[in-house]
Amino acid sequence: MAGGTLARTAAVSGMLAWRAIILVRRMPSVFIPSLVMPLFILVATSGAFHGVGALPIGTGSYLAFTIPFATVMGAGFAGVNAGTTLARDIEGGFLDRLVSSPAPRLSLVAGPFTAAGMRSLFTTTVVLIAGTIGGVTPPGLIGTVIVYVMAAGFGVATSLWSMGVALRARTVQAAPLMQLVVFIAIFTSVAYAPRELQHGWLRTVADWNPVTRILEASRATELGGAGWGEVWPGLGAIALLLAVLGVWALTGLRRLGRD
Amino acid sequence: MNEAIVAHGLVREFKGGIRAVDGVDLEVRTGEVYGFLGPNGAGKSTTVRMLATLLRPTGGTARVAGFDVAHEAHAVRRAIGVALQDAAIDPFMTGRELLRLQGVLHGLSRADCRATAERLLERVGLTEAADRRVGTYSGGMRRRLDLALALVHEPVVLFLDEPTTGLDPTSRLALWEEVRRLNAEAGTTVFLTTQYLEEADQLAGRVGIIDGGRIVAEGTPQRLKAEVGDPALVITPADPERRDAAQEVLQRFGPEVEARPPGTAAARLPGGAARVAEAVRALDEAGIPTASLDLHQPTLDDVFVEKTGRRLEGHGGGESPAAGRGRRGRRR
Amino acid sequence: MSLALRQTWALARRAIAGTFQVPQSWFPALFFPLLLMAIFTASFDRGIAFIPGFPKVHGYLDFGISGTVLQGVLIGGVTSGAFFAGDIERGFFDRLVTSPVSRIVLLTNRLAAGVLLAACQATLFVLIGVAFGVRIEGGVPGFLTLVGLAALLAIPIGGLGILLALRTGSTEAVQGAFPLFFAFMFFSSAFFPRETMSGWFRTVADVNPISHLVEGMRAQVIEGFRPGAAAISLAVIAGFAVCTVGGSALALRRRLGAV
Repeated sequence: MAGGTLARTAAVSGMLAWRAIILVRRMPSVFIPSLVMPLFILVATSGAFHGVGALPIGTGSYLAFTIPFATVMGAGFAGVNAGTTLARDIEGGFLDRLVSSPAPRLSLVAGPFTAAGMRSLFTTTVVLIAGTIGGVTPPGLIGTVIVYVMAAGFGVATSLWSMGVALRARTVQAAPLMQLVVFIAIFTSVAYAPRELQHGWLRTVADWNPVTRILEASRATELGGAGWGEVWPGLGAIALLLAVLGVWALTGLRRLGRD
Repeated sequence: MNEAIVAHGLVREFKGGIRAVDGVDLEVRTGEVYGFLGPNGAGKSTTVRMLATLLRPTGGTARVAGFDVAHEAHAVRRAIGVALQDAAIDPFMTGRELLRLQGVLHGLSRADCRATAERLLERVGLTEAADRRVGTYSGGMRRRLDLALALVHEPVVLFLDEPTTGLDPTSRLALWEEVRRLNAEAGTTVFLTTQYLEEADQLAGRVGIIDGGRIVAEGTPQRLKAEVGDPALVITPADPERRDAAQEVLQRFGPEVEARPPGTAAARLPGGAARVAEAVRALDEAGIPTASLDLHQPTLDDVFVEKTGRRLEGHGGGESPAAGRGRRGRRR
Repeated sequence: MSLALRQTWALARRAIAGTFQVPQSWFPALFFPLLLMAIFTASFDRGIAFIPGFPKVHGYLDFGISGTVLQGVLIGGVTSGAFFAGDIERGFFDRLVTSPVSRIVLLTNRLAAGVLLAACQATLFVLIGVAFGVRIEGGVPGFLTLVGLAALLAIPIGGLGILLALRTGSTEAVQGAFPLFFAFMFFSSAFFPRETMSGWFRTVADVNPISHLVEGMRAQVIEGFRPGAAAISLAVIAGFAVCTVGGSALALRRRLGAV
């Protein structure tokens, strides 16, 4: 029975993930920004603050330094999109169709969660290609894998966050709230400069911000730096976010039909 | 299992103490088409949402297909098909994709999904439109697709929440035909909410009238109408001056009908159509020529007026079939 | 003429009151520029002294405050344009058109409101900057020049918002143009000096009028009262205004002609 439930959850989740992906593909107003924004962030940030590359930020250029930031931003967009889609489904009544079927409830969250992860793989690929065109040496196989894992981990974590908001607010008007929190989380980490250069309040916030560890892990490989010493905290930060936000999303899911 | 739906004292109270549904008792037999009739905000949709496990009752119990909606929700979901108001369909997906998705939701195998999708598309006449995005469908096509989606797993009980609201007359007739066929061929129990009397009259074997969260009348359409009283004979005298005289003549046959169009005389005829000839003869003998004559059978509308003191259709303009659309933001 | 002024003032007051009543219309214009200013300052303050080409300043905030003011005016212009589009959607615009209000007032009331709001916003931003240690080398004349330029900038920016609103008549379309504004700002010296940029990005920033606009404002803060630099900014604003206000006047004629 347990195995059967698991198989059913996987099947339905896969279907819902497929739906999420084709929806993105068919809505230009979602698809184009999700592609353009990470690229824009990569180019604009690395171009505007090119001079920061003269400082001790690691061994690479500022463009290399910006790549993890842009991949994480792109993944964050994909994650927020999972929440706005769910909110739209609740408002439009599509969710009623899912809830009144015997499909396992968990798949309502697991499907978009999977889609967010897959989409972040796509945006990360786009950013990495752009970075390579810009002259950054690709970080080797393990390094590349770690960049992908960090971005996807952050993407699925933000999808849990924004789906939790959607399940509580039940309106698309909550979308700015989902975005705002994700943006602030990224900006108050080490988005623009490493912690060694930061000072004051930002340094304190960045020290505690899990996104800091994610970016540092991704950067350690991207800059060709040491590696595992930064990678473990990054994986830990993702595990922490998934645990906390998983509870947040699942408790939201349990409220369906209560009020 | 003889009762497809049983509810006892079903209550749904929302935040702020509003009781959308206030003690509803229901018994719907297997194989029956039950019409749930009431104006906007009467509690129809809330009742359906509770029976379809979308909303938890705050009081009372309900069993659908033999399972408790609160404690055996999963088993209920296996047994029911639901087509909710406003046809909640994703505009960016195609009809075939949505049917496949629905099949997976109900645990059908890949091959079954495909075969079922083809069969249902054929059945509701959407085969040609199957690969178009639903956003391009007409209102009638959407409702037909919605119905097909609800049938993917061959449900025992089918809930249709206002299936024809906003549809043009032709599409309504087509959908009615489909519901009748389904009930006749597969023996599916149908629980149908509507704000159209005609729809309930046409489709339902039994009708429950809900108002203010309570069921105010229940029975076959014929019995409900019979309860209201005898048919009314309405005549227009050729000479308007003779109206009062005509009224006097008619009242020999039965009690006066107060609610009548101006310039007409009307009375109830306890014997029904059999006594029309007699009444006309009496008018003739009194020397009152008639311009027109109409035997008005009681309708469900009369039943509704009788039970609630209000008319269901034609007040406020928003209730007519043509103007019933556009009620978004209803969910909380 | 005085009637037109009175009508402009009455409608401008409505526009200003409308802005304050809806948090979505003033919150982003205050919050995002200040947040970015705080993050950039905490990220770059320590390093700028070591970046070749970075002008001598007391801190990054002295350099960045002008970009923050500029960004605030930009976001304010977008929200004001969105508000105007909302007026068109809700039918308020049609009511105005059918009233005996003169045609020019339909534009001037929005622009006047924008100028007033921008002046207040710029003053607020600069005062916050001063509270966090900005030293305005230009003194009181420099401060007034900076605020005055920001207020005048509201005319072309507001004109752009109105132009978009008149052409599309859709709140969403105007808001959708927001990332474009943002892009223009990043590809300029709004946040970092052109001297530290390189390659094609430097070329873009060199020809981007926003660079010259913001540098004229910045000179008042980091160099001293510089009427010459202010004149360049003024020229950029004037040229920009001719395009957008002229364009919106044409768009207005088109819209009125079409009815």
